[in-house]
Amino acid sequence: MNQAPASISSDDHGHVLVVDDDPQIRLLVARFLQRHGYQVTGASDGRGMMDVLAHTEIDLIVLDLMLPGRSGVELCREVRATSQVPIVMLTARSEESDRILGLEGGADDYVTKPFSPRELLARVRAVLRRSRTARGLGGARASEFVSFDGWKMDMRRRELQSPSGTLVDLSTGEFDLLVAFVEHANRVLSREALMQFAKARASDDPFDRTIDVQISRLRRKLEADRNGWQLIKTIRGAGYMFTSSVRSHEGLPA
Amino acid sequence: MRRSLSRLFPDTVASRAILILVAALLAFHFLGYWAYRVGVEGLATAARDRGLAERMVSIKRAIASLPEAPDRDRVAHDLSSASLEVHWSKVSLVLGSAPQTERTRTMEARLKELVPDLAAESFRVGFADDGALEAGDADAYKHMMLVSVRLDDGSWVNFSSSALGATQHADWSVLAVTICFGVGIVVVALLLLSWAIRPLRDLAIAAERFSLDQTPQPLSESGPAEVRRAARAFNTMRERIQRLVAERMQALAAVSHDLRTPITRLRLRSELLDDDAARVMVDADLNEMEGMIDSTLEYLRGGVSSEPIRAIDIASVIETIVDEQLDQGQKVTLSGLSSAPVLGRFLSLKRAFSNIIGNAVKYGTNVAISIDETDGHLVVAVEDEGPGIPPSDMERVFHPFVRLEESRGRETGGSGLGLTIASAVIHSHGGRILLANRSSGGLRVTLALPKLDLESAQVIEAVRPHLRDIRESS
Repeated sequence: MNQAPASISSDDHGHVLVVDDDPQIRLLVARFLQRHGYQVTGASDGRGMMDVLAHTEIDLIVLDLMLPGRSGVELCREVRATSQVPIVMLTARSEESDRILGLEGGADDYVTKPFSPRELLARVRAVLRRSRTARGLGGARASEFVSFDGWKMDMRRRELQSPSGTLVDLSTGEFDLLVAFVEHANRVLSREALMQFAKARASDDPFDRTIDVQISRLRRKLEADRNGWQLIKTIRGAGYMFTSSVRSHEGLPA
Repeated sequence: MRRSLSRLFPDTVASRAILILVAALLAFHFLGYWAYRVGVEGLATAARDRGLAERMVSIKRAIASLPEAPDRDRVAHDLSSASLEVHWSKVSLVLGSAPQTERTRTMEARLKELVPDLAAESFRVGFADDGALEAGDADAYKHMMLVSVRLDDGSWVNFSSSALGATQHADWSVLAVTICFGVGIVVVALLLLSWAIRPLRDLAIAAERFSLDQTPQPLSESGPAEVRRAARAFNTMRERIQRLVAERMQALAAVSHDLRTPITRLRLRSELLDDDAARVMVDADLNEMEGMIDSTLEYLRGGVSSEPIRAIDIASVIETIVDEQLDQGQKVTLSGLSSAPVLGRFLSLKRAFSNIIGNAVKYGTNVAISIDETDGHLVVAVEDEGPGIPPSDMERVFHPFVRLEESRGRETGGSGLGLTIASAVIHSHGGRILLANRSSGGLRVTLALPKLDLESAQVIEAVRPHLRDIRESS
């Protein structure tokens, strides 16, 4: 993690495999991702997906949970048995069981259907970035759990737990910001770098708040707990710095 | 009057059963007692009376055989016994003028019937005349009965017997035994009935607790045949309801899944549109459609949620919702506690607060939200400056698919499920939701949820399943 670049390389594109039984959605997702610089291949079911994986170098899989024949969870497990290729799962909205199912199958992230294309793009970007960071370190996969000062983060479920044990709700943008901070702990992050992290979500939004507003909101939520004070420091003229010793875990933080 | 009577009337199965038992016991006892009196005692009395009558005849003959008056008197005394006193006198102690009552006639007939010898004799039956008879005292009939038999020389042998034709007094021991039996039966019946009625009580409790939220725990089919049958019927009914709900949910899930696919397509298509204004509007329509599907599904789910219960900082949830509204240009202020732990289901609670705050923003221009703590409860007050709710509609707005603005046009949209869902969620978390019109205009929605004491062991219990969950998944 110390080797991770503080700025984001613009070349975060790659080859995405979209697995969905609906041909229209496959086509539309492909066109949308292509528009944002990704190379896209489609597959309608598990067999097609395995075929593509066998012959092509894939950087990320977008996998529908509800597939005819073998479910997305099964396929996810099967892929995980041989490969660490990041997977973003498409799950039904507000069905907590589906969400957990998807994550337990080994997916790195999930988007609830009907998803907004930007949401999907943001997830694809974030997961690719995390997996590349981890690969750069020689690690097989990005860490699932992170802890700092008694706080616990579940990267896959996108959950933050306070030192007192309560679940603290963060907006998508706030969570992404916190991930950026945690991944670059004790290093100064410029506003521009932080904006890059939150870019996918905020771009084109007429009501977009500046990164400072996002950070002040994140701070307020962290500071509701005793152990949340001064985690994010303002470095005048340079940006922000997250000051804490961050520990990553594959399993549950001790 | 009727009410006080019905209150006296036993209400529970046990008390009614005991009442029936005691009534049956009393009826049995008194009927038995009566049968005993009529049958056995009647025979015994007849035998005794016959004995007495025969003795009277023989005593009369013995006295008649003696010629001398002093001898007669002495023999009469000698032949007296405790049960039968005998006197000899010149006159009958039963006055000829003594009124013939029903009883004396019955007694006379009976004596003649029992001892045909006596029928040949001239005798009188009457009561010892102590003046009570003339006084018309009813008790006179209880006085000693006399029988006078005339000798050939015109003198009389008078017999008096307390046993003769005496009325039997109600036996108090019989009553005491009956009472003892009654008390015994009540005690035994109470014990047995509480045992016999337990399955019935369990059935009632199971019916009261019946909810689709919990995993079905079939009621044990034990106890008396009728209760077993009721329990079986109840289990069948529950299965049927659960199957029905499950089938509906499956159908709805299928429909909503089918709807999600075209909505997803539309979202992707709108993203590819070059006309920004059109895209924004299409997105807004899609959001509304999604919201309707979500809230309908949430309502039909009827509180059934697979979400785990965990410790949640509800303040952070409200902050996120408020920030979202602020980003959309709404005027919302938030004050009060910055940390508010509760135990609950995250998505459900977030939806409940989203609905309430969303409504306030929709109907009132400026919204003020405060989070406070009173009596172990976290109280969230959401105040708006909208039109409020007419007092007559305060109850109705919680009903599903009720939209008050129907009379004022449909510009605000919505499915009419927001408050229904919110109140179901808050209630399922042991909380309360209150609506009130503010004196300064606008509506105040007060939501109270039990605060989680983070120091207590409760939080460990609450968080543990979730932690285990994570461990298993990793």
